[in-house]
Amino acid sequence: MNDRLLSSTVDEAVSSRLSGLLTEDTRPGYSGYLVAPENLLEAVQILRDELGFDYLSSVTGVDYLEEDRLETVYHFYRSTGGSGLVLKSSCSRENGRIPSLTPIYPGAEFQEREAWDLLGIRFEGHPDLRRILMWEGFDGHPLRKDWREPYFEEEAKPFKSRWPDGKAVRSEEKTPFGDNVCFPPDFDPQTWQAEPETVIERLQQDEKPLADEEIQTDRIVVNLGPQHPSTHGVFRMTVMLDGETIVSLKPVMGYLHRNHEKIAERNTFLQNMPFTDRLDYLASMSNNFGYAIAVEKLMGVTPPERAEYIRVIMAELTRISSHIMTTGFLLNDLGAFFTPALYALEERELILDIFEMVSGSRMMCNYFRFGGVVRDIPEDVLGRIRQLVTDRLPRKIDELDSYLTNNEIVKTRCQGVGVLTDVQAIAYSAAGPILRASGVPYDVRRADPYSIYDRFDFDVAVQTHGDVYDRYLVRLQEMRESLKILRQALRDIPGGPVLAGKPQYQVRVPAGEAYGRVEGPKGELGFYVVSNGKPNPYRYHVRAPSFINLTSLETMCMHQKVADAVVVLGSVDIILGEVDR
Amino acid sequence: MLVEWIIKSVVIVLFMTAGFAYVTLYERRLLARMQTRIGPNRAGPFGLLQPVADGIKLIFKEELVPHNADKLIFTLAPVITVIPALIITAVIPWGDTLTIGGTKITLYLTDVNIGILYLMAVTSISVYGITLAGWSSNNKYALLGGLRATAQMISYELALGLSFVGPILIAGSMSLLDIVKAQSSIPFILLQPAGFIIFFLASLAEVNRAPFDMPEAEQELTAGYHVEYSGMKFALFFMAEYIKLIAVAMIGSTLFLGGYQGPFVDQFPILGPVYLFAKVIIWLGVFIWLRATLPRIRYDRLMAFGWKIMFPIALLNVLVTAVVLVLVGG
Amino acid sequence: MSPAVIIFIVLALVAVACAVAMLVSKNAVYSALFLVLNFATIGVIYLMLGAPFIAVAQITVYAGAIMVLFLFVIMLLGGENLRLGEPLRGQRLIGLIFGAVLLAEIVLLLIFRSGMDQMVGTLTIDTSPAALGLEMFNKYSLPFEVTSLVLLVAVIGAVILTRVDPIRRPGKPDQDRKDQSGRQA
Repeated sequence: MNDRLLSSTVDEAVSSRLSGLLTEDTRPGYSGYLVAPENLLEAVQILRDELGFDYLSSVTGVDYLEEDRLETVYHFYRSTGGSGLVLKSSCSRENGRIPSLTPIYPGAEFQEREAWDLLGIRFEGHPDLRRILMWEGFDGHPLRKDWREPYFEEEAKPFKSRWPDGKAVRSEEKTPFGDNVCFPPDFDPQTWQAEPETVIERLQQDEKPLADEEIQTDRIVVNLGPQHPSTHGVFRMTVMLDGETIVSLKPVMGYLHRNHEKIAERNTFLQNMPFTDRLDYLASMSNNFGYAIAVEKLMGVTPPERAEYIRVIMAELTRISSHIMTTGFLLNDLGAFFTPALYALEERELILDIFEMVSGSRMMCNYFRFGGVVRDIPEDVLGRIRQLVTDRLPRKIDELDSYLTNNEIVKTRCQGVGVLTDVQAIAYSAAGPILRASGVPYDVRRADPYSIYDRFDFDVAVQTHGDVYDRYLVRLQEMRESLKILRQALRDIPGGPVLAGKPQYQVRVPAGEAYGRVEGPKGELGFYVVSNGKPNPYRYHVRAPSFINLTSLETMCMHQKVADAVVVLGSVDIILGEVDR
Repeated sequence: MLVEWIIKSVVIVLFMTAGFAYVTLYERRLLARMQTRIGPNRAGPFGLLQPVADGIKLIFKEELVPHNADKLIFTLAPVITVIPALIITAVIPWGDTLTIGGTKITLYLTDVNIGILYLMAVTSISVYGITLAGWSSNNKYALLGGLRATAQMISYELALGLSFVGPILIAGSMSLLDIVKAQSSIPFILLQPAGFIIFFLASLAEVNRAPFDMPEAEQELTAGYHVEYSGMKFALFFMAEYIKLIAVAMIGSTLFLGGYQGPFVDQFPILGPVYLFAKVIIWLGVFIWLRATLPRIRYDRLMAFGWKIMFPIALLNVLVTAVVLVLVGG
Repeated sequence: MSPAVIIFIVLALVAVACAVAMLVSKNAVYSALFLVLNFATIGVIYLMLGAPFIAVAQITVYAGAIMVLFLFVIMLLGGENLRLGEPLRGQRLIGLIFGAVLLAEIVLLLIFRSGMDQMVGTLTIDTSPAALGLEMFNKYSLPFEVTSLVLLVAVIGAVILTRVDPIRRPGKPDQDRKDQSGRQA
């Protein structure tokens, strides 16, 4: 009710102020506004400055092959809360250009690079439009509908038999590119030099030696990663150092890229549910949640009461397990020798035990279904969760608090390190604990409530300094708030069915688009799904919080020491499965 | 005389190398206990053969030398690191004179009147191995590790040296035997609490132990100066590090905890080494405990701490000790 | 020849060889290492002369502190393979001449004033730290204090020469950050 009221006022404001620039998207199942590329910047400027849509949540694109156009899709929100605004702009597939939003929203930088990389949308005015997930020797833009992978079989699953007449054809026998490598026409692997090095060389040339600096020390470029103990996976930071001070840092990612989105567009809707587990593999229940909400919006299904409670319980347990592990490993990044990490892992194991009991798997849970969850939660498991939530976890979180919060070394290492101000955090589209540690009380559970979060009494954890220490404090408080929610949910959970309708393998999803977002442990996790009525999603995009939070990494690390870069990265809490997708 | 001297040297070297092996096991087991784990317990009873297994593994590992490394120095660096660690304990007394069948055997290798200066000289050259390893590897991480090691050791050597002055002044001698004997009634940790703390912190920095393990900071520099080393060369660094640990524990026990002194040691001099050993074990336990507990201090703060806090306090400590000694007429 | 003389000759040869190698070595790190070796041999010679205090001081101060700093600076500035020409023309030749003259003077002085035997003999005076200290603070206290003053001036001079005015230096990072975050340091 409240939601609708808000959105109608938004509509009125938008239509009165921007009537000349925007037209309403009237395609069945679609919502939001269309804008011509030449009017985009003007409209967005008004949206941000006058209508308060200061938070650019997601930038992506859709390839409408039959209509021969690429459409960019922007999701704007207000950092004060409320529902969002969707803006779309089209250009031709061949040489289409869309103005870049980076001057207005710096947080669009990586997302636009991703859209260029995967869809081939040229963003004019982007400061650094390079590939981001693929390497430079990759031919084509894989998310385009006419792009086909090596060993292409069919457009969509389920595939037909691979041995139709009793004769199996191994896909390796088909060699699509001759020797299986296809480089872009102007690309020579022999002379190719990886991008970050060339960028840093350019930076070095631009830089003038400081006149009053008497001693010129060598500036060295150090690659932290891809194989490095503290990049939390296969991730690279190309760092230029002056002594031990960082003067430039470029994140390089994509080592774990598998084109999650392309695979998902070949899958059926339900096949994607276990596939979302692999995004942020420490928080599979949250990923399930976001995807389920997006598809349910399209289908118009509402899960039964009990299922909603189970979902909330699982999502909050996930949040606790993810945060406790982040806290433990942050201390590892600070140089503690695994003790805090192992203490944290001990608690996480107990939570994973519960996941195993309800879903059968500890990490890759695949527990949610469209319209509910896959199976009911047994009463004794509920008892176990109750015991954990009321006794063990609060005790252990207090223990962590007493060990770490006032630790002198933790304080000196974390306070004032990796600072992101509130203005910067919003501009860079930072999400989750990073945004809240910078003093922006923005939590999707409260700002734009989904599922049944409007029923629970909890506080949005927020701190003001925006440094590593405050991110730690926010996570600590969030674990406590999650326990609060869990206690209420466990008290109120009703009986009844856990799935709307009967279980089905092939769901019918009407044509249209939907953006489902949840507050995952790492931040706002969004799923943008477009359906054309077929069994497979036409477009499936993940707004990955870990990935977008990296946009501000250089700002946070600038002029800090190398050791701090490691800590800042730890406090951003990235999961490479989600960053690289 | 010469024979006795040689036997004692061999015993010390053997003790230090065997001690190194078992300190690694001690550390792993104790750390595991503190981290709700069990630790290595498969090789032999209580995992007692684990160091042997590790040694065999390292001997059979391939020795890699990076292509652009300075091969001579790259090979020499581990050796240069180990030697100071092995010879530093030569002046530590293990006990007083022992009489076996009429012959008197002194339980110390040598008692020179500049024992403490010898310690300082050896510590001051022990940084070369690490620095050279970092430089010769032709690796940025290693170079940064080597630079850090150098800067750190220079900074903390001053405080370390000044912390020696307190015991010297009170005992009125630079001979370690005299210092131990001066502690027969009261260990210097009670007379020199500030000196003890300074020594403890500076020694942590000198042997690159947490929270001052900057030169090898895994999270930042992967392994610092020994990142390119493998096989026995790596084992030598490892060995030097742990032998230094034992040496520091022995020096600390000697200077501040009364060395081999303990109840009934006058009647039974053979108890001397036992007491020293027990003190070393406790000292090592504290080192391991610290490693399990504390995160790492940032490098620049470490330097600031060394120069701006430790050094002035150490100077003040010397001054106060000297003034008090003159006043009480010691 | 007594064993002491043989050892002395070996050490002397090593010391001279190290000194020469230091001069001709192309790589600055090698030069520094040869110098360290040279200091160490000289330390051993002191030890043979019955002056353990000076021997240990030589190793601690020269090999352990000064040369470590040298190495540090060489590594930090990446100056291992600098090929410097002669900053002053003919400098090398003049240096050689002066060096030769100095060497000749020392040799002549030693031979004619005290004779060869003195060089490998044991010192007869007391070289214990206590005796040295007493000498230094009683008999030579004025030169000692003057030397320390000179060193102090040198230290202050070094600090002032290398000091960079903090206001003009762009991006004094830590301070800026702290102010932004509004935390008290």
